[in-house]
Amino acid sequence: MGPLIPNGFIPFEWSSIIAIVIGIFFGFILEASGFSSSRKLAGVFYGYDFAVLKVFFTAAITSLIGLFYMDYLGYVDMSSLYVHPTYLWGAIIGGAIMGIGFVTGGFCPGTSLSAVAIGKIDAIVNVLGIMVGIFIFSELYTLFEPLYNGYFQGNVTLVDSLGINKYWFVFILTVVAIIMFAASDMIRKRVKKVFY
Amino acid sequence: MQEELFTSGRNIPNIDPSLEIWHWPISVYLFLGGLAAGLLLFAAVVTILGKDKDYPTTVKYASMLPPVALSLGLMALVYDLTHPLYTWQLYTTIRLESPMSWGAWVLLVTTPLSFLWVFSYYSELFPKWNLKFDFLKKFEQFLKKNRKNMAYALVPLSIILGVYTGILLSAFNARPLWNNAILGPLFLTSGLSTGAATIILLAKSAKERHLFSKIDLALIIIELGLIVHMIMGMYAGSEVQLDAMNLLIGGEFTLMFFGFVVILGLIVPGILEALEIKGYKIPVAVPAILILIGGLIFRFVMVEAGQITRYLY
Amino acid sequence: MKDKEQNRHIYWNPYFGGFLLGLLIIFTFYITGRGLGASGAMKSSVVTIVDDVSHEHAKQSAYYSKFVDGDKNPMNNWIVFETLGVLIGAFISGGLAGRIGWRVQHSPKITRRRRLIFAFSGGILFGLGAQIARGCTSGAALSGMAVLSTGGFITMLAIFGSGYLFAYFFRKNWI
Repeated sequence: MGPLIPNGFIPFEWSSIIAIVIGIFFGFILEASGFSSSRKLAGVFYGYDFAVLKVFFTAAITSLIGLFYMDYLGYVDMSSLYVHPTYLWGAIIGGAIMGIGFVTGGFCPGTSLSAVAIGKIDAIVNVLGIMVGIFIFSELYTLFEPLYNGYFQGNVTLVDSLGINKYWFVFILTVVAIIMFAASDMIRKRVKKVFY
Repeated sequence: MQEELFTSGRNIPNIDPSLEIWHWPISVYLFLGGLAAGLLLFAAVVTILGKDKDYPTTVKYASMLPPVALSLGLMALVYDLTHPLYTWQLYTTIRLESPMSWGAWVLLVTTPLSFLWVFSYYSELFPKWNLKFDFLKKFEQFLKKNRKNMAYALVPLSIILGVYTGILLSAFNARPLWNNAILGPLFLTSGLSTGAATIILLAKSAKERHLFSKIDLALIIIELGLIVHMIMGMYAGSEVQLDAMNLLIGGEFTLMFFGFVVILGLIVPGILEALEIKGYKIPVAVPAILILIGGLIFRFVMVEAGQITRYLY
Repeated sequence: MKDKEQNRHIYWNPYFGGFLLGLLIIFTFYITGRGLGASGAMKSSVVTIVDDVSHEHAKQSAYYSKFVDGDKNPMNNWIVFETLGVLIGAFISGGLAGRIGWRVQHSPKITRRRRLIFAFSGGILFGLGAQIARGCTSGAALSGMAVLSTGGFITMLAIFGSGYLFAYFFRKNWI
């Protein structure tokens, strides 16, 4: 059956409208979970608030389990889903730069947009910064190109690259996440409270 | 004027198979006309009910817009005419069966009346600029006394104006998307809704904002109902109506119509206004602006999509 | 202090939020076959701006030309509409919780100016990184993880890893 739009169950014209609706829910969830607050987001790096970690990993595991289950029941064909491509060093270096940007700015693009919506000026500045960053990248594209296009491993999943059983992997990931959640609660109790 | 003879009813440039003579000024004009109709109706009704002291924005500040909107709208309309100089010929005839004739005459009465309405509030709106001539002062006094009479005249006039913006389209029986009876009430409701949104945008007191949020919410619900009605009507229609409907629900206007008019222009502002009425702190400018944009896009969609639809032969 | 104490509990329980976000990701994959994203919309905006300012430049540049070729409109993109929705959804949620208002949120220990400068430079880094990694936390890491993409996991680890690594240098801004 699914995915519905690529398989033609929903006319292509509706995809943009569905995008708006999905975006509304995405923004609502981000904002309601407190992701519009840079201080709450940054808390994950200093141990006074682990909301990012909890939301992020709960979401990842829920979607993983849900998608596998729907694949198993035949509602969605996992192999036709878009798998984010793996450019090894691009992912590592890009991710590392994003990490620094995260602790510096306190936002990532999605969360800063949800903060823009409720009038946070620092978020507006952050979005402008992101756009400047993209502009810099585009202008210096020739410089980054070897990194951007190099070390391509294809649209691979962990099953391909590590050769592990995906169900076991999800199970282990879930256990790891639960341990992380418990650990984060313990850490938070020891760290000095920060109010914001 | 030069008459042209067609030996065939087919493949007439700019008219068949699709109309290509109505451009953006028409959509803008329909939007401004509806907006002015809404503002005038609210101002008139509030005055007739004797609540003009309680809702100053409605009767005073917001009613400065209809004359501007009507003038701009008429300018856009004349600009779009191929022969602007022949406009006067509309006023050589009264034809009850022609919506254009209705519109021309209603506009001829309503536009000056909207100017007079603003003038009756002149000394309250511009307390610093005194009128220079005595007869102008007397005229203002005269208008002030007759404000209620003007309001009585404006109620039917503004409703006709609002309905006319839709009837103008639906009288085109060669264009299936336009040719349905819902368009008149739909455009009237949409015009009233944009009018209410403008008042919300300009209102200074919470009381006025709340009243018009409620009115606007009701209008949004009615409008959504009418849109469903319109689409269901087309769905039950013949092949040409189905084709017209497909432009809206699965064609090039789907995103504009459902994305920007229905979701962003009606449902989202409706939710925001409902929350605001319930007491949540929401800057009402956001739903109001969304409604105004939605109303404008709605006119564009209807005018542009309507011109594409046609009868099959 | 009481006010601030209350403020902490206005937000949803993180597990609840995460669960709903997970469901939304499943729904998104089910409908569209791909995941959520955010930085893509900003890329589209940048491309549009550059294209408007100088079409020639956009056509010649190796990167922009990917998005402006022919009559492909860079704004006519799934992710742009999703972002529009994000703004509205967040606005509704903020309105429900009474969090709407113009303000600069910063630690009482730093000035507004400093916060804005850091927000801006953080944005630049994030924009740069998101382009190199072909996606941000939502597009690459979260949506990538949902389908077990190797790149998604690597990006996620890199973001959090370098975040923890560099957190020490920026601690004054936050705690």
